[in-house]
Parts: sequence; C-alpha cells; structure tokens
Amino acid sequence: MAKWGMVFDLKRCIGCNACAVACKQENSLPYGVFFTKTLSEEVGEFPTTTRVYIPTLCNHCEDAPCQRVCPTGATYTRPDGIVMVDGDKCIGCGSCIVACPYDQRTRLEPQMLERGLFGNGKLTPFELHGYARFTPGTAVKCTFCHERVDAGLQPACVATCPTNARIFGDLDDPGSTVRRLIQERRGRQPMPERNTNPRVFYID
Amino acid sequence: MLSNRLQIVDDFRVGFRAQKAWGGSMATAFFFGEAGAGLFFISQFFGFVQGMAVALLMVLIGKGGGHLMHLGRPSRGWRALARIGSSWISRGLFAIAMFAVFGGLHILDVSGKVLPEGLSMLVRAVAVAACLVIMVYQGFAMSHSSSISLWSTGLMPITSLTYSLLAGTMLMLVLGYDSVLAEQPDALRMLKLAAAGLLLYGFVVILAMLHAAKYGSEGGQESVELLLKRDFAKWFVSLVILVGFVLTGLLAAFGPTSYGVMLTMAAAELTGYYAFRVLVFKAATYDPAVSFAAHFRR
Repeated sequence: MAKWGMVFDLKRCIGCNACAVACKQENSLPYGVFFTKTLSEEVGEFPTTTRVYIPTLCNHCEDAPCQRVCPTGATYTRPDGIVMVDGDKCIGCGSCIVACPYDQRTRLEPQMLERGLFGNGKLTPFELHGYARFTPGTAVKCTFCHERVDAGLQPACVATCPTNARIFGDLDDPGSTVRRLIQERRGRQPMPERNTNPRVFYID
Repeated sequence: MLSNRLQIVDDFRVGFRAQKAWGGSMATAFFFGEAGAGLFFISQFFGFVQGMAVALLMVLIGKGGGHLMHLGRPSRGWRALARIGSSWISRGLFAIAMFAVFGGLHILDVSGKVLPEGLSMLVRAVAVAACLVIMVYQGFAMSHSSSISLWSTGLMPITSLTYSLLAGTMLMLVLGYDSVLAEQPDALRMLKLAAAGLLLYGFVVILAMLHAAKYGSEGGQESVELLLKRDFAKWFVSLVILVGFVLTGLLAAFGPTSYGVMLTMAAAELTGYYAFRVLVFKAATYDPAVSFAAHFRR
C-alpha cells in the first residue's frame, strides 16, 4: 500500500496561486475557504531582500493531532496515509481546528454555502452541484484530492502547477521522485518540533 | 466587503494567525461549567441543597446551552461520547452526563433521604467525581492543543481548577449567606479567608501561565503581548487583573463580612473570570506554520 506524500520545491514556486484556484475548482470550495494556499514572506534587510513563496496544505500527519482530539472519530487516516473527515460523523465542535498546528482546517458555516460566489445569495449551477458534497457545520480540509488519487490521477494542485513546484508520490517507494528529492535535497517537514510527522516536505 | 477581501489577502502571508474556532459560546459554556461544578463541590461540605441545585442548573443549562450553540451540528452532539479513550471533549461529555444523573439523584437524596445508605454513598461519590472532572477537563482539552502556546501548558487544568473553586466559593458566600452560613459564622469567615488564599494562588497561576506562553514560542509571545500590551490589554488588565484579582482580593482580605461585600466580591470575581475565559480564546495565536526566513538569512 502506497503512503502518499507531497514535496514542495521552494526554488520552483513562483507564488502564482494557480494551485489554490485549481483546488477551489476541483473541490467546489465556497467563498473564503481554501484547502491550499501559497503564502508569501519577505526576508532579509534592504538592499538584500527577497520574497519567498511557501505553499501550504493539510500535512496529512502520521500522528495527526486533529485525529487524536476528535471526540466522534470523524477524523480518520486511510491506509494510504490520507487524513480524512467523515462529514456524517463530524459534530462541528472545532477541537480539530484548534489542535492543528498548521491551521489547515475550516468549519464550513452554513452561511458560507448560502452566500454564493458572487455574494448575492444566488448559487450558480456549479455551486449547486458542488456544494452537495458538503455537510454544513462540519470541519473540512484538504484530502489530497482522494477521488483523483484513487483514480490514478495527481491532486488538482499538483496537476495544475505550471513550474512543477509540487511533487506528489509514494513516500514508501524508495524509487519514487518524492523519496529521491527528500533524500537528495534534504527535505524538511514543517514544524518538526510538534512531533506530528507530516507527510509534506519542503526542499530549497 | 472590502475588509473581507483584505482579510483574505492578508491570509496569504506568512505570519501569526488568530484562533477563531472557539469563541463566545464556548467561553460561556466553560464559565458556567467550571463555576457550576465549583459551587456543587463547595456545597457538598455544607450539605447546601439550594447551592447544589443551582450548580446543576448552571452546568446543564449554562454549559450545555453554550456547547449546543457552539456546535456546527448540535443534533449529533451525543456522538461526542465515542472517543473517551483519546478525546477530552468525550471525557467531558461523559462527566456531564454522569453529573446530570447522579448529581440530580444526590440532590433528591439529600433533600428527602430517598436512597438506602450504601447506594446514597455511591451516588454521592459518582456525582462528586463527575463534578471534579468538569472542574478540570476543559483545561486539559485546551492544553491538549499543542498548536497554541497560550493554551498548551500544564498550568491550564490548574487554572481551571483554581477558577472553579474560586467561583464556587464566591457563589457559596452569596447564596448561603442567609441560610447555612448564617448558622455557621466561623464557616463564613473561613470561606472568605479561603477565597483570599485562592485569589493569591490563582493570580500566581495566571502569571505563570503567561510566563510559560511568552517563553514557549513566538505565537505564545504574540498572545501575551495581545493580552498585556496590545488589542486586549485594556480588558485583560482592567477586568481580569484589577477587578478579578486585586479588587476581589482586597475585599476578601480586608472587607467586612456583610452581604453587600460578599455580593460585590462575587460579582467582581465572576466578571474577571468570564473576561479571562473570553480573552484567552480571543488572544490564542497559532505560530507561523512555516517560515523559512531564518534559513534564507544565512
């Protein structure tokens, strides 16, 4: 069984946020909800300043704090390592949101699904179709586009990235690109001090 | 609309992020839960039935109502009993359920001696045990969130316990003033002295909690600055510190034992306590999830 993970190549990321747009489109995310973002950060002091772009999403942690604190078992990890939320079990208590060190979860408030992407309270056919997958009041997060992965495709953000800054693959396969990149370029996990063992790595 | 859009733009930068999942309704639930459980616990020592009844109502209506208002899917709230092994929310809900049943039975028993001796002892023990869990579990639930340094400290359950005992003592001084405490003037003085001691202890615990957060991480430092120097400083310093501890402490240590003073003292302490609950949620800050500034500086 594969253990899916992702590598972000910070040298390649240009901060276009095409990943965020592709994710919103793939997952029919309402206004204000993002499963992935590319953050920007200015570093250095004038005149030697630069701006770095840092893609972020759910890290699908091996020891996921969100799963540990969930009182209903709605958050679970699939055998392939993808951390999921069962919308039928979630009670919307928000304990997973406050437990996630990476701030990668959102509670889907009912008004988010009623507002409409144009803000006039009218839902487009795209929204009407896409919002049916959500349960209002529950927690949502990135699922590595599990339907696409199950069908043998790459997550939408990976498929759309114009610079190949996002690399998706099997962390357990010694021959996979993600494993090779992590080993050769010393991939680093976000906030390793939290002991969550994320399945997302950064290389630069 | 513009401010909403600006907020989203701001969300695309590396930096501190405020915790928004737990807000006013959770703070209200925590407040009523701890204050009610504290009152029930203190009332035990005096066999004060009215106090126990008020405490049970505070937990069931105040705490239960606050949680139901907070939940995204309140009709499924019972499902939170599913993970007692790992989730403090589950353990808390279990304790509330036990408290509702055994606390209610205990009140009936104390009022009318309806249970045989052995069973009465058992009901009382379970009710008090559930009450003790309610007094501390919220602190454990918060300290379990390693993402927020302000909360992620072993002092959080101690804060919960201290505030719970304090609120219980204050409510006991007010509710029992004309009844059980009128018959036991020594108990009144002893409770007032205990309140002064708990206030001193609680103040040191709050300072230690802020100290742990400040030196725990950048996010913790940001939270402490929000509470003591920036956005929430006027509320935290005036309500939590000055009203909740200094004014209450002065009244407890040096004030007369009149009803007016007890009422003022309880109102001041509960105001400070509620403000603490709200502000600790509002000032909770996540550390920047990823920052490579230090790496690029090399």
